[in-house]
Amino acid sequence: MKSTTRELPTTREPGGGPPGRDGPGVASVRRGIVGWLVSGQSSVVGLVLLTVVTWTIFGTVGSGFLTSFNLYSIGQLAARDAVLGMAQAILVVMARMNLAVGSVGAICVSLLGYMLVDAHIALPLAILVIVVAGVLASLLMGVVELKTGLSSFIVTLAFLSAYGGGALLLTRNANYEITSSVLGRLGSGTLVSAAVCPLVAVAVVCGVVVWLVYNKTAIGWKMLAVGANERAARASGVNTPRVLLAGYALSGLLCAVAALMEASYELNVNASLGTNWLLPSFIAVVLGGVALAGGDITVAGILLAALFYDSLQSGLTILNVPSYWLDLAEGLVLLAAVVADQMRRRRQSRVRHERRQRLTVAGGSASPA
Amino acid sequence: MSQVLRAKWLPLLVATVVAGIVLGIETKSFGASFNVYVILQTAAFDAVVGLAQMVVLAVGDMSLAVGGIGGLVTIAIGNAVDVHHWPVAAAVVAGLVLGTLCGVVNGVIIARTQLSGFIVTLATGSAFTGIAYGVTSAIPYSSVPSSIVSLSQGRASFFPYLLLVAFGATALVGAALRWLPDGRTVLAVGGNRDAATLSGLSRTRALVVAHGSSGLLAGVAAVMYMGVLQSATPATGTDWLIISFAVPIIGGTALTGGEASSVGGLIAAVVLATINDALIVLNVNTNAVEMAEGLLILAAVLAGQVGRLASLQGRGRGAGRSRQGRRSASDTAARGSGLEPVAQ
Repeated sequence: MKSTTRELPTTREPGGGPPGRDGPGVASVRRGIVGWLVSGQSSVVGLVLLTVVTWTIFGTVGSGFLTSFNLYSIGQLAARDAVLGMAQAILVVMARMNLAVGSVGAICVSLLGYMLVDAHIALPLAILVIVVAGVLASLLMGVVELKTGLSSFIVTLAFLSAYGGGALLLTRNANYEITSSVLGRLGSGTLVSAAVCPLVAVAVVCGVVVWLVYNKTAIGWKMLAVGANERAARASGVNTPRVLLAGYALSGLLCAVAALMEASYELNVNASLGTNWLLPSFIAVVLGGVALAGGDITVAGILLAALFYDSLQSGLTILNVPSYWLDLAEGLVLLAAVVADQMRRRRQSRVRHERRQRLTVAGGSASPA
Repeated sequence: MSQVLRAKWLPLLVATVVAGIVLGIETKSFGASFNVYVILQTAAFDAVVGLAQMVVLAVGDMSLAVGGIGGLVTIAIGNAVDVHHWPVAAAVVAGLVLGTLCGVVNGVIIARTQLSGFIVTLATGSAFTGIAYGVTSAIPYSSVPSSIVSLSQGRASFFPYLLLVAFGATALVGAALRWLPDGRTVLAVGGNRDAATLSGLSRTRALVVAHGSSGLLAGVAAVMYMGVLQSATPATGTDWLIISFAVPIIGGTALTGGEASSVGGLIAAVVLATINDALIVLNVNTNAVEMAEGLLILAAVLAGQVGRLASLQGRGRGAGRSRQGRRSASDTAARGSGLEPVAQ
């Protein structure tokens, strides 16, 4: 289980706590039950509990929730949402946001459809091309942000409509009926048991890669540093533009993977894919315990958040809640998640503050004696 | 006059008017009085949606819930008239009150949690849309009261009555931000949150006022849209996001808060509606419009950025040359937006 939370001391503590100066952040708080509960670990444990509770409730109340068919479809959707969440999280970690995840996905899926259906290009080459396209499309946004100094919000908002409109324009709203059996087996085959979709493995692999980037590579650590305090990172010699571009590229790559995943189980795709990706991507990020202010990431949290969220949606469907109400549920889940996360962070910074004060008092009374 | 010459939207407006005249001569349909009416009708609606975003940008926040509130208000009015047979006026008033309340809820949550408006309104906007879809099961109310339709579709030659609504809303927002204590509070908090709080202004109040009026304006836009479409559909508002940002940004309202240009927004709305219509008249795919909007946002923000930089440099060269600095600012702004500098 990849449950390591990496967090850099950030100067932008929500809740008005003092800026963290004590090196590796929450590590010092992780002693004692309260400290453990408010640390990054709790979002993972909390999500596991939430998912177990959800499964228990829907398993007893709704009929057919725990069937392998239903678990299969939960896994299928959760896998895509987890990858989307990571695509979003990579920019959120750098204290930025990516409104254009869906539009980059639309570009990728349009290209995929065109290459497989119209141009009859072999699948491996097509996959390679869309991954490159996703990376380039996302990189372009990074370049524009760097060259103009505009906020990522406005840059990605502009590209949301530019890419989305462009993809629809170039494909002339065409529907592509993908017939590739390999892709079909990826999206609708089974892995090990009848309840597991192969896409789950794709999501886990993406998770491991992202975890490795943040925990084992210098560039990942630098991304965290840029998110925690960009000026400090630059002052300590981090090449911020290069780090930013790497982040945008990785985010684009994951958008391409998410597009491929959705195409593999939908099989009938067009450029309007991705129009409703924004909300799930942020739900996975916020519910997974990634700070919107940047500077920390919990990969396991994102994966579990996607699992919990799609279990909830599936459970509501099984209880015969009309699908029209699911938008409301989505909104409320996100709202509850941000508010709960904010409260957790406030308590966390208060605990840290109190601990430091206690240490100061103890140190102060010890030195005269 | 010099203020008008320095406005960020001026080059865009000139380019649009020139392009409009050229199109009017080249094609028969573009200059027809009915087509001008359609352009101005769209512009009126765009302007009000833009105002709903502008008041929130003024306080240094943003709202992704403008469309969600619009959809909910549409459904509320449609439901009251269609199902409960309320008088039209009562239904509209109730709808506008509901819109305001939705905005107030956003403001209160944002102020209480200290979260960014982005994430809160992303959530509440989706919740409002969800309620609209849930209540109607995605089936629109088709019987929109004739009084709303006749207001929305009414025109004197090429002049749509809706433009009067847009003028009124623009004037009210402009005046409120300039003269009302609450409006000034909104701008002060948007300009420098800490300074405003230290001088005793309430950030909570500013946020609630800004988001509340945004909800009200989204409600007004919903009524306009309902009449134009002659249907109260829960899908109302799903495509308002880009427009709501494009209008104030192209009109010169800064994303950083503390300033708002309501007249600029109105002109940006006319520009956007003209481009939209021109692309349709020229038989360009409508998806190109969406693309053009995105690129235009980028160009406008860039122009603003370049203009600000240039004016800072101009100021640095000394007070005596400040006029030149200003001129070079608007020149660079014009070039930044991909237009030729305009003779002044």
